[in-house]
Amino acid sequence: MGLEGHLITIEVDVADGIPNFTLLGLPDAALSESRDRVKSAIINSHLEWPHRKVTVALSPAYLPKSGSSFDLAIALAILFSTGAITMDSQPPTIFIGELGLDGEVRPVRGVLPALLAARARGIERAFIPLANAAESHLVENLEIIPISSLAQVHAFFAEGLLPDSLVREEPTADPAEMLDMEDLAGQEGARRALEIAAIGGHHLLLMGPPGTGKTMLAQRFPSILPSLTQEEALEVTAIHSVAGKTFTPGRGIPRPFIAPHHSTTAPAMVGGGARFIRPGACSLAHHGVLFIDEAPEMSPGVLDALRQPLESGEVAITRSIGTICYPANFLLVLAANPCPCGNFAGKGRGCTCSALQVRRYLQKISGPLMDRIDIRIFVDPPSRVEMLQTTPGENSSTIRARVERARTRSAQRFYGLGWQLNSQIPAKALRKDFRAEKPAMNLLHDELERGLLSARGVHKVLRVAWSLCDLRSGSIPTLEDVNEALSLRSSLRVAP
Amino acid sequence: MSQMISHSKLRLFDAIEGGSPFWLNEISLHGSDTVVTKILEGRYEGISESSPRIRQRLQQKNIAQLLHQVEESQSIFISSESQDWPIQMEALAAPPIGLLIRGNRSLLTELDRSLSLVGTRNPSAYGVRIAGDFAIGVTDHSWSVVSGGAYGIDATAHRAALLNGGSTVAVLAGGFNHNYPAAHTDLFAEIAQEGLLISEVMPDVPAEPFRFLTRNRIIAALSRGTVVIEAAYRSGSLRTARDAAEIFRQVMAVPGPINSPTSAGCHRLIAERSAELVTSISDVLELVNPLGS
Repeated sequence: MGLEGHLITIEVDVADGIPNFTLLGLPDAALSESRDRVKSAIINSHLEWPHRKVTVALSPAYLPKSGSSFDLAIALAILFSTGAITMDSQPPTIFIGELGLDGEVRPVRGVLPALLAARARGIERAFIPLANAAESHLVENLEIIPISSLAQVHAFFAEGLLPDSLVREEPTADPAEMLDMEDLAGQEGARRALEIAAIGGHHLLLMGPPGTGKTMLAQRFPSILPSLTQEEALEVTAIHSVAGKTFTPGRGIPRPFIAPHHSTTAPAMVGGGARFIRPGACSLAHHGVLFIDEAPEMSPGVLDALRQPLESGEVAITRSIGTICYPANFLLVLAANPCPCGNFAGKGRGCTCSALQVRRYLQKISGPLMDRIDIRIFVDPPSRVEMLQTTPGENSSTIRARVERARTRSAQRFYGLGWQLNSQIPAKALRKDFRAEKPAMNLLHDELERGLLSARGVHKVLRVAWSLCDLRSGSIPTLEDVNEALSLRSSLRVAP
Repeated sequence: MSQMISHSKLRLFDAIEGGSPFWLNEISLHGSDTVVTKILEGRYEGISESSPRIRQRLQQKNIAQLLHQVEESQSIFISSESQDWPIQMEALAAPPIGLLIRGNRSLLTELDRSLSLVGTRNPSAYGVRIAGDFAIGVTDHSWSVVSGGAYGIDATAHRAALLNGGSTVAVLAGGFNHNYPAAHTDLFAEIAQEGLLISEVMPDVPAEPFRFLTRNRIIAALSRGTVVIEAAYRSGSLRTARDAAEIFRQVMAVPGPINSPTSAGCHRLIAERSAELVTSISDVLELVNPLGS
């Protein structure tokens, strides 16, 4: 259920009677078909199928069960009950995997959360599909045996043979495959905005005409974020595992980058499904980056569905079978053209949109969502000079080192206060302990009085100013920091 | 191109600070040989305040020393006797007595297809962008860029022109032996390779503040027009613009946000009707080259 694993015990009774195979314990369609898969797999592995009355019970019986991951366990329970294998003096063991008709063991969803739950309940050994081996590397203190066929498991118990694939290699992310900021020509302003966003965990809006590199910038955003911690990697891999996606963890792992198309529906964005509630794009982007290109083209309802995770860092999805909570603590990057045709930039000569269309375009991103975006910048097309330059831009690892240093500063400052990043400073703390220098506060109060900034806006500007302050290793945001934070908030040439 | 060097011109070039209409007038009336003789005989005492100092200098340095100095700095001395002397400079009230050049000499005769791009030493990101775009645009049309050697707009314009494989001319306020500013040593070397360096003083003369102002008139005179990219309300670039206007060269300015201090000088020129407002390189070329000649 969700990311939480439950241990299912399988009982088998082989009795005299008319040959039959019954499966008990609220199975869904995929699980009911397990009977036929298990039977064929056993027979095609040249093992004996009991031509008697077979009853399999999955307990606890009240919990609805779905999917094909019980196949392997059912098959083994049957083989055990017919005496084909013995399990005396074996440690507590869990079996996970779908069976093919030929006895092959196939990958299933949610192996990682299942292993974590098993370990928590005292299981010491796990047989899992070979194809799921990558995600299992994160689980320590559990003996994991990846297998590719039922025959291998049989060989293990009947003859004590270990499958060949037992060698555990810890995968590492190949840095060469990572997109790097050095691929970008110029874009000094956007680079700095990205760096500030990375330091403080600020959400970001990139506006600019098509082809200016908004997507390239966003794709490289994870490369300047600090690597996932072991704990974070576990959470991310668990979510991806439940969603049936591969997220290969390793050392120096980049954060996930999820870019749903603007036609994405609300269930796909936040999660959903009838029997099995799948995590949505925003949970897959947990501890990473959620990038929405052409954000104004996305249905307003879907965009607004992001408000809850943006606020609480998780999504609660309620369906008839219950409520599931998935973590969804992501950095949001929205990209938008300046107008529907995209040409309202530069001299704006190619633009065919009416003034009203231009005005309305950005308003499709609702006020409350826009309010949560601290940094909004205009991305100009790279200049001819930037295109001609052959010296690469600053590379990601240099920027990441600065980001990590600044994040260490802010984490030390917030030690024991209950938050880590500048974007998370509560309004109350901003008013008291985390103010800027006097002249900077005066400027903000002026802006507030003149109605150019809302009270919430003042807080947003202060949070960004703290990130600027951390970048230059300062102790308190200065007037200059606040001025830059103001311009990072309002440099869109189309007023939001 | 081997050419005779007027020895008396070189001596006067060494002794007389540029930008003085009096001496230029004397030279064009009597010829440089006569002027040298007259100074040495002390016949300008009481007429020109600077004549004793100039006389002293003429006595100190003989022509062999000067020729050696020029040769040692890997530069060439040119004056109005030279075949490729840029005659457009004769429009100035005080044209230079001569010039030292280093680099691609053939550029001298092609400066009727050149534009001066000038501006502040502390440009905004906008100014840097526009200076680069304009320099690229100028060189795209096989025109040359003319500018000073300072930080900011000057350097940006040169670099962009070089990047685009075009020609660029830097008019320096100091002598070639002083790379001023020192941070531009590499840039000047590259300009000497691909373009042309020009100076109105002997190689070991330092870049004193007043020399920047007299130097500006050369930037204004060499090209067909001057574009002020970004300039503060009080800026040396405005001086270049006025120098250009005085000799009826086209003066143009790029506007910016009205609350940007680095655009205040441009707005001032536009408001005073001293400069045409330009927003693209095609605006510029239309103004300086109306028939596309």
